[in-house]
Amino acid sequence: MRIGLLTEGGYPYVSGDARLWCDRLVRGLGQYEFDVYALSRSERQENEGWIPMPPQVNRVRTAPLWTAEDDGIVHGRRTRRRFAEAYGELAAAICAPTPPGAMGAMGAADPRGPQRADDWEAVDVSEASEVSGALEMSGVPEVSEVLEASDTPDTPDTSEASEASGTSAFLEALAASDGVMGSETARHPRAAAARHSETTGHPDVVAFPEASAGTFDSEADRFAAPLYALADIARDEGGLVGALRSEAVVRTLERACRAPGALRAAREARVPDLLTVAAHLECVLRPLSLDWYEDDRLGSVDLCHAAAGGTAALPGLLARHFSGVPLLVTEYGVPLRAHYLTAAGSVPVRALLASFHGRLAAEVYRQAACVTPGNAHARRWQERCGADRAKIRTVHPGMEASRFTAVGEARESADPYTLVWVGRIEPAKDLITLLHAFAEVRRSEPRARLRIVGAPADGPDGAVCLAQCEALAARLFREEEVTEGATAVGDSPVSFEEVGGREVPGLADAYAAGSVVVLSSVVEGFPVSLVEAMFCGRATVSTDVGAVVEVIGGTGLVVPPREPRALAEACVALLRDPGRRARLGAAARARALELFTVEQNIAAFRDIYLGIVSRFPVRRLVVDEAGEPLPFGVPAEVHVPWRWTRQSRSALRVGPRWAVGVPVRATVSADAWTTLSPEAAASGREATPVATATATSSPEATAAPAPTPVSAAAPAPLPTSASTSTPAWTGKAGR
Amino acid sequence: MNELGHADDLGEPDAARAWPEADEPVTTRPRTPPARPGAADPVKALMHSHRELCERAVDPLEIAARLETHGLTDHAAARFRHRDVFSLAEELYARVPRVEETRMPEGEAVDAPGAHTGWAVFALLPGALCVAAMAGVHLTEDRPRLMAAVVAAGVLAVLLGLRAALRRGPLRDPSNRTGGSHAWMCWLVVYALLGDGLLSAALEGGPDEPWPLATASVSALALACAPAIWCAHLFAVRARRRLAASRGLKEFAGSVRPLLLSVLALFLGALGVLLAVCGAVLDEPVAYAGAGSLGVLLLLARLLAVRGSPKAPVIALGAAGMVEATALAVVFAGRLPGCSFVTVPVETVVAVWGPGAVPGLACGSAALALLIHATRILTGASAHATPPGSP
Repeated sequence: MRIGLLTEGGYPYVSGDARLWCDRLVRGLGQYEFDVYALSRSERQENEGWIPMPPQVNRVRTAPLWTAEDDGIVHGRRTRRRFAEAYGELAAAICAPTPPGAMGAMGAADPRGPQRADDWEAVDVSEASEVSGALEMSGVPEVSEVLEASDTPDTPDTSEASEASGTSAFLEALAASDGVMGSETARHPRAAAARHSETTGHPDVVAFPEASAGTFDSEADRFAAPLYALADIARDEGGLVGALRSEAVVRTLERACRAPGALRAAREARVPDLLTVAAHLECVLRPLSLDWYEDDRLGSVDLCHAAAGGTAALPGLLARHFSGVPLLVTEYGVPLRAHYLTAAGSVPVRALLASFHGRLAAEVYRQAACVTPGNAHARRWQERCGADRAKIRTVHPGMEASRFTAVGEARESADPYTLVWVGRIEPAKDLITLLHAFAEVRRSEPRARLRIVGAPADGPDGAVCLAQCEALAARLFREEEVTEGATAVGDSPVSFEEVGGREVPGLADAYAAGSVVVLSSVVEGFPVSLVEAMFCGRATVSTDVGAVVEVIGGTGLVVPPREPRALAEACVALLRDPGRRARLGAAARARALELFTVEQNIAAFRDIYLGIVSRFPVRRLVVDEAGEPLPFGVPAEVHVPWRWTRQSRSALRVGPRWAVGVPVRATVSADAWTTLSPEAAASGREATPVATATATSSPEATAAPAPTPVSAAAPAPLPTSASTSTPAWTGKAGR
Repeated sequence: MNELGHADDLGEPDAARAWPEADEPVTTRPRTPPARPGAADPVKALMHSHRELCERAVDPLEIAARLETHGLTDHAAARFRHRDVFSLAEELYARVPRVEETRMPEGEAVDAPGAHTGWAVFALLPGALCVAAMAGVHLTEDRPRLMAAVVAAGVLAVLLGLRAALRRGPLRDPSNRTGGSHAWMCWLVVYALLGDGLLSAALEGGPDEPWPLATASVSALALACAPAIWCAHLFAVRARRRLAASRGLKEFAGSVRPLLLSVLALFLGALGVLLAVCGAVLDEPVAYAGAGSLGVLLLLARLLAVRGSPKAPVIALGAAGMVEATALAVVFAGRLPGCSFVTVPVETVVAVWGPGAVPGLACGSAALALLIHATRILTGASAHATPPGSP
């Protein structure tokens, strides 16, 4: 199985977001092949280079998102008209106000449940037929034509036809669409096939006729159809860089903004606003011009895994549009929310860009086979932005637990009056509240100490925040120190330290130093330091922000944010009750080991991969020279959802294969096929050395108990004979 | 973050009081009195404390995102009788009227290209070097070898100075796509220097001896680099100011067209003055038509190339250069037996208007064509967008 990993400003780059997670994922799933498709965010990032790649990464393709060279492509008049039409529709969709409830409609529309199985089948067939997009297109119909065709009342027939399976369904669907397209196409079967694939280029137009009755789908199509039309133009006619920067684009945007029924904010857009929006759209739509969607690139993967939503998932959307590759979207933060928080500029600019990103997110969620938020907070945002609840599966991020094992398993040896805060010092962490709370703690527990461990965040904010906190600490605790004299000379009850110093050599030592770990943030996504404290078996007091409640789940105390008194009371309660501390710490460690380890994260993704690949297999249709589909052109073993001719080295090294978490029975039978007919494997997978396949699979055959003789008793495997009789097989299906 | 709102304090007045007032170094907003628990409209206080945020928001999700950064959670939203932050944000969005945002003063946008004023001085470089070279030539008139060296050094220096002047300031080409036009530009300048003399000598059956060079035209052109760059800057600044002020593309185009024409007229006037001065100083007849139209042509070509239309200038410069080259070639070709008729058009033109008419017509018509193109391209808003390469 080959996974296309899509990132934006992320994984292979040294300074990328979420690179650690991606790296662990890729290394942890050594049985799959990975192709990494990365968009870089800045020149600096590109110059800093990549982190080392494990061998299961077959290829890394990168493209800059921060610059685009004008490729000098000047389109013909016909293409320019197509482009202007598509861009105009896209602009109109962006400028249209969001209909009330459309964003959240999908979340509420759970009654669709019973329909789902049918929907999936419909998707399968439409994907299968879509693959003939690999054909040389002849007579590409205009976008409007496609839309008209899908609006005709004949479309339900198409979906009925898709109830059947395999090639016959494709032919029936073809026939049905011929009825739509008119008799002219029937005379040219190949053109008809091409046309049909164009029609189903918007699979949901055909595959979800019932669902499209709702406002949400028509609204989403209004955005999606022109987006895919632009992608088609980029693929057929070359890059869109020049076109997206042209004056025509600004004029189109202006027309869309002034159209009746446009957003109120859009109607007030001035010329500089239009320019800003056009420039931003050009930047975001750069992935359309990439050459990633050919049959030997993203067209050849079995699953696209976008490591973030938004722009990173756009190549996945297009791969799904062109080749029917299922899309999995993982979001640890919600890009739309980040966009709202970082957006700058005038009201029209912000309104239009927010509209674009909202619609893009909705389209990504709509097309994704599965959406995996990192926590419930992200999940709520996704549901709000239109993700179907049934597609969402929360996968908590995994963290390295081993380095906290020693601390977590040791008996508590810390000073029982020490509170510890660990993290990056920045305004969002609200250390001011923590210091005020600690002042209250000192009033009732004079022996208490607070150790603040962490470096200031990058940028001016961090340093300023640290300076403020130090000043406040000095002011709050100075007199006390003088009058009481309880603490050692020159030893303030509050200390600011950094990991790596003399007192705190490692991160685990920071947690080991305190009996209670405090988290006082006002903004938090997934609270990393809280999970680390849980791994260390520490009792915690944290504020109710982000995913904190979900992470802590009753194994620590949670108080409202920005309330020093509540925080202080909780801290004092824990400081005075060692038994309760111990119980909470043990429970927290157990919970973290169950939920937040790297292993659970990787296992969850392995299951999701298998689930998606089995539910949405990419059916690549093989055609002969005349454009006729070849029955049995793709043998069944191509769909075996893991690497079956070459054993993963790690599996062999670790121990017997049946002890590794890969389903054994199916593997064995697949390997038995290989053993019987090595030439089949050689002809099908040109890159696979036959000797390796045979050698590695033979110990398996002896180790496996039952099915081997059965498989051996069946000579002349059907797929092999079919494959040798089809000349196109090696070229098309060899992956 | 402290300064921003106290949504969560609203239910618990005690907690709000527990917050020591004096120890907040970053407080900038006046505090709003916390709402009493059980007040009839709990959202009102929240609305009040986050009014600015709600007024600026473009949709409810933005309010939700920003409320979350202020520590408002779903749990807290329950106190305002809402299921989650989203529905609370929707209520806030519906209840707080949007305000017309005061536009940012466009000062920094206008000043952006002129932030570094070194270019204005560098614009004088080609002219200064040309004058220096001329002076050198005059001083070394009696020593031909030294004079040849001075001429070579002068040409090189002027070219380098021109390069330096065009590498910064308003005529800088961020994308470096003007490659094709350089050769034609050089040819046109060389023709301005040598062409008229050669053409008239050739028509009279020569050239038998070195013909006079039009040094006045070329030095005026070199000196005109400075007004060209200053005019381009003026155009950029004024156009950007109009861009910021205009509501629609048509309005913008309508206001930029006269600006473009007046800037070109200004440049043409400056060039005319320079030509007259150079002619008087060097005591030479000046080809106003040829040099003037060539100057305008070069400025328009550079303006268009810099502002995103690199192809048209190459075509226009190429056409003018071809016409001039053809005129010369035709005159020499007419000496072949039986071909004398081909020189008739050139002879007629020269007989009527003089030898300066050939470059005048070639460059003038090319400049006119470019001007028509420029009134379409340079009046578009995208020509005045910040170029994609620059921050």
